[in-house]
Amino acid sequence: MHTSPPTSAAKSKRPRLGVVKLASCDGCQLQLLSCEDELLPLAGAVEIVTFAEATSRRDDGGPLDVVLVEGSVSTNEQLAHLRSVRARAKTLVTIGACATAGGIQALRNGRDVKEMLRVVYARPEYVDTLADATPVAAHVRVDHELRGCPIAKGQLLELLTALLLGRRPELRDESVCVECKRAGNVCVMVASDTPCLGPITHGGCGALCPSFARGCYGCFGPKEQANTASVASLLRARGESGAEIARRFRSFTGEAEAFAREAKRALEHDRERVEPTPEEEP
Amino acid sequence: MSARFLPRESLPALVAALRDGRRLLGPRVRDGAITFGELEHVEDLPIGVGDEQSPGRYRLRARADERAFGYAVGPTSLKETLFPPRETLFRAERRADGKVGFVAVVPKPEATAVLGARACELAAIGVQDRVFVQGAASEPRYRARRDALQLVVAVQCTSPAATCFCGDAGTGPRVYGDAADLIATEIDAGLVLEARTEEGAQLLDRLPTRAVADDERVEAERDLDAATTKTHTGRLAIEGLPERLFAALDHARWDEVAARCLACGNCTSVCPTCFCSHAEEAGATAGALEGRSERERVWESCFSSEHGAMHGANPRATTKDRYRQWLTHKLGSWVAQLGTSGCVGCGRCTTWCPAGIDLVEEARALGDGQVSAVALPDAPPPCETPRDEDLVPRAAEVLAITAETSDVVTLHVRDHGVAAEPGQFLQLSLPTIGEAPISVSGVSRAEGFVDVELTIRGVGATTRALTALEAGMELGVRGPYGRGWPLAALEGAPVVIVAGGVGLAPLRGAIRALVEAPDRFPDVRLFVGARTPEDLLYPREMITWLERSHVKLTVTVDHASPGWRGHVGVVTRLLRRSAIPEGARALVCGPEIMMRFTSDALVAAGVTHDRQWLTMERHMKCAVGFCGRCQMGPHLVCRDGPVFRRDELALLGREGF
Repeated sequence: MHTSPPTSAAKSKRPRLGVVKLASCDGCQLQLLSCEDELLPLAGAVEIVTFAEATSRRDDGGPLDVVLVEGSVSTNEQLAHLRSVRARAKTLVTIGACATAGGIQALRNGRDVKEMLRVVYARPEYVDTLADATPVAAHVRVDHELRGCPIAKGQLLELLTALLLGRRPELRDESVCVECKRAGNVCVMVASDTPCLGPITHGGCGALCPSFARGCYGCFGPKEQANTASVASLLRARGESGAEIARRFRSFTGEAEAFAREAKRALEHDRERVEPTPEEEP
Repeated sequence: MSARFLPRESLPALVAALRDGRRLLGPRVRDGAITFGELEHVEDLPIGVGDEQSPGRYRLRARADERAFGYAVGPTSLKETLFPPRETLFRAERRADGKVGFVAVVPKPEATAVLGARACELAAIGVQDRVFVQGAASEPRYRARRDALQLVVAVQCTSPAATCFCGDAGTGPRVYGDAADLIATEIDAGLVLEARTEEGAQLLDRLPTRAVADDERVEAERDLDAATTKTHTGRLAIEGLPERLFAALDHARWDEVAARCLACGNCTSVCPTCFCSHAEEAGATAGALEGRSERERVWESCFSSEHGAMHGANPRATTKDRYRQWLTHKLGSWVAQLGTSGCVGCGRCTTWCPAGIDLVEEARALGDGQVSAVALPDAPPPCETPRDEDLVPRAAEVLAITAETSDVVTLHVRDHGVAAEPGQFLQLSLPTIGEAPISVSGVSRAEGFVDVELTIRGVGATTRALTALEAGMELGVRGPYGRGWPLAALEGAPVVIVAGGVGLAPLRGAIRALVEAPDRFPDVRLFVGARTPEDLLYPREMITWLERSHVKLTVTVDHASPGWRGHVGVVTRLLRRSAIPEGARALVCGPEIMMRFTSDALVAAGVTHDRQWLTMERHMKCAVGFCGRCQMGPHLVCRDGPVFRRDELALLGREGF
């Protein structure tokens, strides 16, 4: 969808955009709709082929220049849908923690899904679900990912604008701390001992939670070189149990490799401490 | 000048005098810390508030007295004021007809006074001055803010934290010289004041001061002496530290600290001297789609992956690499680059490290060994007459485009700047797209303009957009920048030139000069390597070089195609098979790994390191030494290179640099 010079974009055939959802809450799609002032020029620059939250237009089934995929893969139907969308799309972008790293529905992964269905639903036989909720990249090639629960509006606009212009999107793989310091915040970890995943979490939110004196929940998932072990040892030093630490790492992006690994290690750490050695058994 | 005393109840008079027509910055409590902010009343000061600091921990605490300056430095400094975390450099536009325009954005900051700056703070400003206004280039935005800092009242620190070591660093706690207009020392009853400049003396005259009583003088000196003793921790010997750190590049301690380091960038963000930044295209979507953008400069940390990344490679891929780069720069190569240590001993990096890594402890453990074999060059002295560098491109027209290979084109551009010397580079810009450094591959001077040839391989978004330009369109140009090929040093000697791939482009200007002057360069031998015969640059021009009797040319390709009857194999193999004349000097350009092996092959052929020159293409972003991205040990590649004599590049090929 690279057009050059940029102003010829309007004259040439407009790029075809699709927005599709899998297992998700629609919150990331709503971020696109809440772009308000920026939405109109963007909508004028593309042809929206499918976007259930915004238009009742019927999908013509033709090729897509860009498709934004929200949600994780939780059912066979979603998997088939995802594959058909990938086959049609030149550029596939996952939007949000669910699509990029499983999301909160991935909390069920590794548990007995049948048992969970029985507990949650009155008629579990009506529910057709896969055992695990998995990120899009586990099934098809992903060209760009937007992190977060929900995604940051600014990052979405940056990505779409960059794709339209043919430049590299500024989606920097840096820590939340770097953004937090640029925002002029006082560090909540150092000044008030608030647990915060900011040092190892991918930026992009503009340090939203620490700007309101909260610790980062890690909803953007791990940054590269995420030293999760060092953070876990800091949390342990505060007296947190392995289960508590695992919860911090698993909450939003449990299928992101670095966080998943650390959550597992934290639980193992608990077991090692709790399980009695054979000699101590009665 | 003699000291005067300002009683505590007269502090409002000091605040009012400083605020007279100025914005006043000073300490105030915000979000659980003492930070720099705007002061309106004396009550905004942290009266009766102190702090406790240790690695990874900061807490405010109530003091038993009413002191307003009884604290150690907090997480912010004057860096945010002089070098803001994000600022617009210029506005850019690319119209439908392909013409471009650029307009500089330079702030007009309001007159500013500062109350409560510490000695370490003032030393840090001195360090940043070396970066932004005392090098060969002077940054007008920083300079404007610096000039707006009209009146500075320093309060000498009598409450250092456990993490402070300004005494070891040689920057405090006493303020020496005229780094501030007025120097204060706080005692329980008020401030002992001493003017250090004419402005300070005038300010002092306007304040309701009286003579200093003997016991007040004694109390002030006693508190300062105590702070001096406390900040001379004796844990860090600054003398010889750069050489000792560069001797410890393989120390096991780097792995230990990397296991704790979060690579989060808190240390570099709170550091009052860290100056690294990147530039990005910004601006609203609607404007961008119509070709308008703003280039913004944004703080960056060398602990982030993109800081050192080049296209397709990141020399500092791991946290260990980045920590080592940071510490060896801050305490070591900073001296070679800027003539001063990058550390002022404020201890912020230690306090505000979430993992509690203590810089002094690490530097002590790493720097207690032998002195390095790595020769650290002397820094250039502060420049007396720096040129103004606003980082804004000028428009230049594309006259024609030559397709060289499937992904390489040469733009023929009419520029109204200075003509580049062979080996220098230009920064090429496209509004809404970005900027890239490109070596000049040819120049022809004319009256009032210069026609420049720029050979570009479309590998990233910006270079692809540049290669898609058409005749009649415009692009933005800055430069020329950098140190080019040392043609004078080659005169009379046999010259060997080795080029790999698109690396022939930065050499072409030098080759043309050598080809045209057989009397000065009687023996020129060119060795050119390419991936395939189709990737060979400038084949027609090469034939004209061969027509000259003093030029020998050998070409090799990695992969032959049908009909190719020349050499096959890497260019280093070609070198090993060729006789290199006695006393030869060599110029080399190609991928970094090719240059390393070529350099070794040249040494084997008798061309020592002091007779080889290489051009480094590290991640040059600003091109003038402001952004810190192209660091390579003691060098800023854009400023000191890109052409280096091989013996200047002790760290070439060294993992993590």
